[in-house]
Amino acid sequence: MNKVYALADNIITSLGFTTEANFNAIKNGISGIAQTNDPKITQVPMYTSIIDSEMLKNEFTQFGDTTDYTRLEQMMILSIEKAVKQTTIDTKSNDTIFIFSSTKGNIDLLENRRQEFDTERINLWAIADEVCRFFSNKQKPIFISNACISGVSAIITAAHLLQSGKYKNAIVCGGDIISKFTPSGFQSFKAISANPCKPFDVTRDGITLGEGVGTIILTVKKEFVKDSNPVIFRGGANSNDANHISGPSRTGDGLYFAIRNTLSEANKIDINIDYISAHGTATQYNDEMEAKAIGLAGLEHVPINSLKGYWGHTLGAAGIIECIAGIRSIKENCLVKSLGYNELGVSVPLNILTKFEKREIRNFLKTASGFGGCNAAVYFSEENAD
Amino acid sequence: MENIITKYCLIDSTKVIVDGKTEFENSANESFGDYMKSIYRHYDFKYPKYFKMDNLCKIAFIASEIILKDNEIIKTLDPNRIGVILQNSHSTIDTDLSYVDTIKDKSNYFPSPAIFVYTLPNVMIGEICIRNKFQGENTCFVAKEFDPDFITEYVNNLMDSEKLDVCLTGWADFIDNNYKATLFLVEKIKENQKDNISFRPENLKKINKEG
Repeated sequence: MNKVYALADNIITSLGFTTEANFNAIKNGISGIAQTNDPKITQVPMYTSIIDSEMLKNEFTQFGDTTDYTRLEQMMILSIEKAVKQTTIDTKSNDTIFIFSSTKGNIDLLENRRQEFDTERINLWAIADEVCRFFSNKQKPIFISNACISGVSAIITAAHLLQSGKYKNAIVCGGDIISKFTPSGFQSFKAISANPCKPFDVTRDGITLGEGVGTIILTVKKEFVKDSNPVIFRGGANSNDANHISGPSRTGDGLYFAIRNTLSEANKIDINIDYISAHGTATQYNDEMEAKAIGLAGLEHVPINSLKGYWGHTLGAAGIIECIAGIRSIKENCLVKSLGYNELGVSVPLNILTKFEKREIRNFLKTASGFGGCNAAVYFSEENAD
Repeated sequence: MENIITKYCLIDSTKVIVDGKTEFENSANESFGDYMKSIYRHYDFKYPKYFKMDNLCKIAFIASEIILKDNEIIKTLDPNRIGVILQNSHSTIDTDLSYVDTIKDKSNYFPSPAIFVYTLPNVMIGEICIRNKFQGENTCFVAKEFDPDFITEYVNNLMDSEKLDVCLTGWADFIDNNYKATLFLVEKIKENQKDNISFRPENLKKINKEG
């Protein structure tokens, strides 16, 4: 089976338009979450992480006309452009496939009945078509919409396609924007935090939404990889709780199965995992379920954080940008503190990161869970580690 | 080892086809809701949660129930090795539009969690998993048209890499009263099994045209 290398990446959030800008900010404990009263987003003041529209416009005009592309498409094109620029891969090649993830895509078009784009553009596949056309790629793209695990699902799907030898390179891009739609829905569930979210904390009271896009380029071609000890995809799996469409399992068994199957695919028989990047949305039920699943897997001793306190829950981007941050943790041998956490608020004694730490990191496990009862896990490590 | 289609169900606006036979016809030309209810009654289904579902979930769920209703063996299998992989074109746009109606006016603002939860296309997979206690691989792909080449490649990969023993897969779409579901139960071929339909793109394409 082909080895799948993490070749290049990009993160676009309120914290910046490059992976470096984002990772430097979170290493320093800086959050992009702020209060908004924007009536296009919320009727009541709400904490969220929003990308500056002027900055996006200024950056995007270097590559295209802002009137031709929606906000999300602009973010995706910009992110892919910045990731591809770090590599020598050819986006036009039939060896390169584009894989997208999003929960709501161009939902702003539907809300505002915007006339400047035709009605077809509300379809998720229309976003993929536009972005692929921009990069002159003729392969049929893949689009995944798997609620909050979409980004992790997209990475796993891409890696398995590359392992099977069907393609040489995969450009995996996930994102979501914040409009009125998603905040109002989570508000109706009473799931939005009154303050910036506090994953795993005893006082946590819900999620903070954020917008963002992440791009990760995977390849099987070692000659493209400049790094002497590159990070590789080792395994990934998803599962379903089969319990409730909007509430996570009470036992954590579904996420545990995804973790177990991921580590089994990675042939990782010991539990010497250096770092877990949790989903950690800061809802009561998610964090408790996740703690139980990690306990069932015997991994409660592993250093763990949730990055939602920095850029919020970025939905279709979350799995991708949090994996990119995990890869950065390996490359820079450091762990970022779990922002918003003070006192343990889950029933399993997790080893939650309360401060920034420098230490050797060779691998990490990323977990995610979402509506529809879905769970996913993915495991990356240095090529020369375990 | 080859994977085979052991049962399939196609539902369109005129009929329900199961393994090549028309089992129910929409002869009264009923609207979607009434037609689905008629199918539900025809098969004597009893699952009150069905009535809370949105239209996309309803059509996917009914097709899955028709396929699985007499399957006692599947209940004895490891739930972690039974997957649900579906594809659709219009995601949940139909329900998204209903939801947007509840938030567009400040004076008439009543977002409902009961509608919002159905604005994610993978929730149809969740409903099928809850009903049948399936806990294996589950992914919702969105493509302009049903893509049997991709679906067979993806599902065969899960089956051949020993992640799944059984997979319910196919297509379910609903937009503005245009709808169709074509679901397939895929299993590994057993010894001495004959007259099977191979789980190959050409067979999916052929079956999908029966509607």
